[in-house]
Amino acid sequence: MAETTKSFQDIIFDLQKYWANQGCVIMQPYDTEVGAGTSHHATTLKALGDDYWDVAFVQPCRRPKDGRYAENPNRTQYYYQYQVILKPAPSNPQELYLGSLEAIGFDLSAHDIRFVEDDWENPSLGAAGLGWEVWCDGMEITQYTYFQQVGGITCSVPPVEITYGLERIATFIQNVESHFEINWNGREDERKLTYGDVLKRFEREFSCYNFDVASVDILFNHFSDYEKECQKLLAHNLVMPAYEQCVKANHCFNLLDARGVISVTERAGYIARVRALAKACCQAWCESLKEAD
Amino acid sequence: MKQELLLEFFSEEIPARFQKKAIADSKNVFTKILNDCGAEFSEIETYVSPRRITIRVLQLSQNTKDISEEKRGPKVTAPENAITGFLKSNGKVKKDLIERDGYYYLAIETKGLPISELIGDMIEDFIAQMPWQKSMRWYLEKEKSLSAFWVRPLRSIMCIYGRNVIETYIKSAGLTTCDNTYGHHFLSSEKIRVFDFADYIDKLEKNYVILDFFKKREYIDREMTQRAAAMGLCLRVDTDLLDEVTGLVEYPFIHIGTIEEKFMELPPIVLSTSMKVHQKYFTLTYPDSVIAPFFGTVTNVPGTEIMHEGLDRVLRARLSDAMFFYKEDADVTLEAFAQRLSNVIFHEKLGSMAQKIDRMMSIANSREEHRTIALCKADLMTQMVGEFPELQGFMGEIYAKVQGEDPEVCKAIKEHYKPNGANDSLPESRTGARVAFFDKLDTLVGFIGVGIYPTGSKDPFALRRAALCIVRLLCDFKVDILEREKLSWYIETLMTSYSEQGIALDPETLTEVEGFIVERLKVYMADKLGIDAEIVESVISSFDGLDFDYKAAITKAEKLFGLSKLETFEIVREAYKRATGVIGEENIKHATLESLSFNDENMANVKEILSKLQKSNGEEFEIFVQASEAVLKACDNVLINDPNEETKKRNLQLFNIFLELVQKHIGII
Repeated sequence: MAETTKSFQDIIFDLQKYWANQGCVIMQPYDTEVGAGTSHHATTLKALGDDYWDVAFVQPCRRPKDGRYAENPNRTQYYYQYQVILKPAPSNPQELYLGSLEAIGFDLSAHDIRFVEDDWENPSLGAAGLGWEVWCDGMEITQYTYFQQVGGITCSVPPVEITYGLERIATFIQNVESHFEINWNGREDERKLTYGDVLKRFEREFSCYNFDVASVDILFNHFSDYEKECQKLLAHNLVMPAYEQCVKANHCFNLLDARGVISVTERAGYIARVRALAKACCQAWCESLKEAD
Repeated sequence: MKQELLLEFFSEEIPARFQKKAIADSKNVFTKILNDCGAEFSEIETYVSPRRITIRVLQLSQNTKDISEEKRGPKVTAPENAITGFLKSNGKVKKDLIERDGYYYLAIETKGLPISELIGDMIEDFIAQMPWQKSMRWYLEKEKSLSAFWVRPLRSIMCIYGRNVIETYIKSAGLTTCDNTYGHHFLSSEKIRVFDFADYIDKLEKNYVILDFFKKREYIDREMTQRAAAMGLCLRVDTDLLDEVTGLVEYPFIHIGTIEEKFMELPPIVLSTSMKVHQKYFTLTYPDSVIAPFFGTVTNVPGTEIMHEGLDRVLRARLSDAMFFYKEDADVTLEAFAQRLSNVIFHEKLGSMAQKIDRMMSIANSREEHRTIALCKADLMTQMVGEFPELQGFMGEIYAKVQGEDPEVCKAIKEHYKPNGANDSLPESRTGARVAFFDKLDTLVGFIGVGIYPTGSKDPFALRRAALCIVRLLCDFKVDILEREKLSWYIETLMTSYSEQGIALDPETLTEVEGFIVERLKVYMADKLGIDAEIVESVISSFDGLDFDYKAAITKAEKLFGLSKLETFEIVREAYKRATGVIGEENIKHATLESLSFNDENMANVKEILSKLQKSNGEEFEIFVQASEAVLKACDNVLINDPNEETKKRNLQLFNIFLELVQKHIGII
């Protein structure tokens, strides 16, 4: 087997290994639809409280509105993030991060790496932090954030969140134009499989589903059901299942938004409803931590 | 002994947009800290670059000054424990108390202290007091607690006084000060030992850090202009972008990249906006200002082939997206976009954008105006404006052209946002100017009508700016945009529209809005035109009510302002004052000049000059001066309040005509 290219999966393996060597727990993706690794309970809930928490994982993300029917080389409604949380943020997270880029084969002297202000905010999660988007030759490849607040609650021990855009990094490493050209398995023979081979049909069909076909009535019902269920579970003090319902409600909202059926006015209302759930979950989480003490 | 103090606050990357302000803020804050502790120094310089704030204090005395001050304590009648507390906190005893004006005072002598002892507190104070628009806290392992607020985590603090390090522990950052710094994030790796400022700046440059923001900015501007010129191109000036890219690099390297040909069909403003907003690339043009298929950019490290390919590629991805938006938008008519405006809230108390448009229609006149109003907000619903809000109006014009609207309408769609503030240019088209006026006036009538006013420095709905725009449109647009109606008619018609939509406005809205706009007129005359506030007041009070002609007001104010600088103006002012005094509270019946006749030569002279003045229609100031001299002479030589009632009445009537003429042509002075 001819292996000349650093494959997509190799990049992931390298990151897993690198962060494992830094002492992180290597978790697996959250098995429900989320817009970002931030929504993984290993981020949102674990960012609260005083305990140490160093974790890394791949998270597939769904952003229905970003779909382009697989026609845009760099924008898709489904993509992979590599998420690292270090809590508390150590005194050298930038160095660790740059070390990880080298570990996956970046020649830092050949590229222009820049930390460009981008204060990240997630209104649905009531979360906010300060940090940068990391640019490599003008392209954002990572979001780097010092969390200050989650679920409307100030972080007592602020974590740093490092979120890599895996496809974008791969386009750099492999020097290809489009996500779909990324060599996934690293083979150069007839058994080579690209990102496009693996996911192009998925991308196209989900773009159609998100924008054109998804049943609006069903989604509206789902949204309300998840909301109700979340509140019920909170009443039973089942914080993690409640949080999962909140995440699912958020995804329904994102789908409805992509379908273009939520007016600008209503939009703020839906975001506020999701935020109320997220806040309630985070509050319940913090209370349960206090009780445990 | 006087020596240099050098401080450096080394952190992770400071946002570019904060850097210029931080140069001034750090100087102010540290100067105050120095003065408060009685430090003596000759000068202070501050520098900000992406990863550091540097403070250099020149000729700083080794010790601070001895300070003697009197501190006021409690009242003499205060309870005993308050007095003992006051003594205790100042380390004094009862016999030190000085009693004066019912209070106790203490004479406090503070001995000057060595800078080396004070510096720790000064650094702590500086960290605590430096104002950041946005700041954060991070966890300090050493302290097991959170840091003070700073813009990004502090990683090192350098403190050198007279070539020697002062080591002190800064608790709020969990760091001990040192004499080390670091060079460029990528082009330099080792710690750098520093002795003084000259050594520091020299070593930084060798390690690829240009400390001085302005020097770096000047270099970028010059280099990029030259690189473009070498290709026969011009760099489009953009100061905001230049400031931003300056704050994004420690050491600038210039690169000219390429825009792929197929994207050149995008509207030029979309190209330049996408490049600027997303990529911070500069637009390059041909000498005739036509946008060229190249861009200018600044990198933080020397260029490589793979980097340059990357810079071109990322732009292709951005422009693909812009192309996607452009094509999607072009498939929908502006009417269809406009229909969606009923879902967009203008303000919760003032209904939707669609309702705003209906109200604007009620004061419109021509066919072009109606069409412009119908389409002018439609682009808010396009994907392109969703992505680039700053393109509102511009996209409306572009899409209107695509669908073949009347050129006047296309232009007016763009121009109805103008003038955007005090320094922006006015619309060129009459329709644009009128619709801009309708839009702003509807905003003012609505917000003021439901009782939302700006307070202090808070004006979240930019009502002052809206009123200023109205003032500028009324005063400076080439023709009278009110056409046949008065300002009050527009306000009242809008009020009726609001009420027809079921939105209840305060009945006093008309007066309130007129008053609000007149306030802006005063500010405009005073700030922008530099006219004396007193003259502005006198001109405005010379009109009957608030519904006056703004163009005439400006002309009058400018004229009066010009006259007020003449020496002879004082004569007119004096005559006006005396005549006003003589008439006092008397109720004068108006008379025509011709109907009055005088035996007294002084009064006859006044009459003669006033009739000359009437004939000249108040154009010649010199005649005012003559009339004023005649009035003053009459005041000195004639018993105006003659015992004969008829004579007295005639005298006062003549003086009153003088006052009326001054008021009409000059103002109340």
